[in-house]
Amino acid sequence: MIRRESGAPVPAIEVNDLTVAYGEQPVLWDIDLTIRQGVLTAIVGPNGAGKTTLIKAILELVPRAAGRVEVLGRPYRDARGEVAYVPQRGSVDWDFPTSVLDVVLMGTYGRLGWIRRPGRRERREAMQALEKVGMEAFADRQISQLSGGQQQRVFLARALVQEARIHLMDEPFQGVDARTEKAIVEVLRELRARGDTVVCVHHALQTVREYFDEVALLNVRMIAAGPVDEAFTEPNLRLAYGGRVPFLQGVTGFEAPGGGP
Amino acid sequence: MSALDVEIQLLAVVVAVACALPGVFLVLRRLALMSDAISHSILLGIVLAFFWVQDLAHPLLVLAATATGVITVALVEALHRTRRVKEDAAIALVFPALFSVAVLLIARYAGSVHLDVDAVLLGEIAFSPFRRLEVAGMDLGPRSLWLMSAILVLNVAALAVFWKELKVSTFDAGLAAAMGFSPALIHYGFMGLVSVTAVGAFDAVGSILVVALMIAPPAAAWLLTDRLPVMVVLSGALAAFSAVAGFWAARAIDASIAGSMAAMAGVVFLAAILFAPHRGVVAGIRRRARQRLDFARTMLMVHLLNHEGGARARVENQMGHLQEHLQWSPDFARRVVRRAERQGLLERQSGGRLRLTPLGREEARHRMVR
Repeated sequence: MIRRESGAPVPAIEVNDLTVAYGEQPVLWDIDLTIRQGVLTAIVGPNGAGKTTLIKAILELVPRAAGRVEVLGRPYRDARGEVAYVPQRGSVDWDFPTSVLDVVLMGTYGRLGWIRRPGRRERREAMQALEKVGMEAFADRQISQLSGGQQQRVFLARALVQEARIHLMDEPFQGVDARTEKAIVEVLRELRARGDTVVCVHHALQTVREYFDEVALLNVRMIAAGPVDEAFTEPNLRLAYGGRVPFLQGVTGFEAPGGGP
Repeated sequence: MSALDVEIQLLAVVVAVACALPGVFLVLRRLALMSDAISHSILLGIVLAFFWVQDLAHPLLVLAATATGVITVALVEALHRTRRVKEDAAIALVFPALFSVAVLLIARYAGSVHLDVDAVLLGEIAFSPFRRLEVAGMDLGPRSLWLMSAILVLNVAALAVFWKELKVSTFDAGLAAAMGFSPALIHYGFMGLVSVTAVGAFDAVGSILVVALMIAPPAAAWLLTDRLPVMVVLSGALAAFSAVAGFWAARAIDASIAGSMAAMAGVVFLAAILFAPHRGVVAGIRRRARQRLDFARTMLMVHLLNHEGGARARVENQMGHLQEHLQWSPDFARRVVRRAERQGLLERQSGGRLRLTPLGREEARHRMVR
């Protein structure tokens, strides 16, 4: 764990007063968020809440209107090597003429820098990552022949070979089969066990409590953030999701109003 | 074959391959139309630079034209970013504007020089060998062959050196950016390459046919393979074939060589889309026909299984009965039965009665519970 000179651990990600706007339309309003090292954090919120934009703003993929983001106490551009990014599965063209192994190898490109090509060592790492997600038999497969869950596992393998300590994942559980969901959860726990930080944009409210340690409830503004027990409450969900709450019954895991978990 | 023919064909092949290489990434990046825009708007750069230096062979023309190509891309993107028009509309607005200014300038001020509208549109590959490169009185061959060869080498080198950067930024621009490979830098570098290539090819094949040579071979190659390196090599090979075949076709019917090269590229694409092993139209039709037969076969076996041993088995499981009950034409019924027979799933008994083999019975049960 990276610590300050005082001995206090540096936050994995520190977002201060972040505002992002597309044209005049603010997508994120004055966000403050601290993500501790070594925890699994879910970013939760309704459609259009700015969840993906928050991830992209941390990665400097969208311009900030205001605010500051630090990764391990540094600006993102100085901490690139520490961060792995799993975009939404639907954001790429799976008809692209390439193989599963080749996509995983792309995870090593950042560390290789310009011009240098992946070699035998990178290839071995990519195969190991594929084994971790149970996709080693598909290494030579054309990527368009994969199911949605298999595609997601390939993306996860690609993140693993980035050898990062912070993993930003945009909806890794979106539309995957039960087997893939289990594989992803296992990998997330393994990452946490070795002290890595994982931030997932997450849609399925009923699994937040089971999979994650901390949660950030987002709806253009930050509604609440912190340990799941404290932040993932009905009142906060009601605030985040507005009036559309009937489906929220019971998802927070509280037995009765006022009762503890 | 005269030396002139050899030189023309050599130039044709070099032009076609040089165009096809960046074409692969144009197609993969869904920027095919951008090649059309660039190949037209570079004319403005050529014309303006010509007014400056008064020499059609001056290297400044290539530089100015390339710059115009990149400016075109920037203008299209700026217009698109205003969110007032879609990208295709932005392309359609920008390049005709630049092209029309160039055409007006030529018509008004350059009527006496060799820069006419026909040549701009179709190129003059047949005349290219007459413009020689001479150094110290030595004839080194056609000038445009040298220029195009240099561009071909540049394209091969750029693709080889920046292979992984081009690949990752094309497949997943977000990841590329997060890793620190500036997609904008790669994009404009690549578009610069496309522009240089279009400028070089312009002289030989004109501004419209450049597009055919850039897009048709890679589009055909993409139908034939699902590996990027194979796609690149195949694009080059198909382009070279189109060039040579185009030359001889033009010779046979006494027509424009450039036009016939582009037409050949189109024929190659047509052949690919019809006959590609997996993605072709014919393969698709055959696959669907096979699926239909397979499904009918399964249906037949389930039908036989259901009535097996029943009181009406003698009637139901009768060849002639299938037409009536399953509503199959006699011909289709015969084909389905023959297929099942060949696969050892059923046998025909005397009197046209059909009987499942043990294998067929097992298969039918398996299909039913699935």
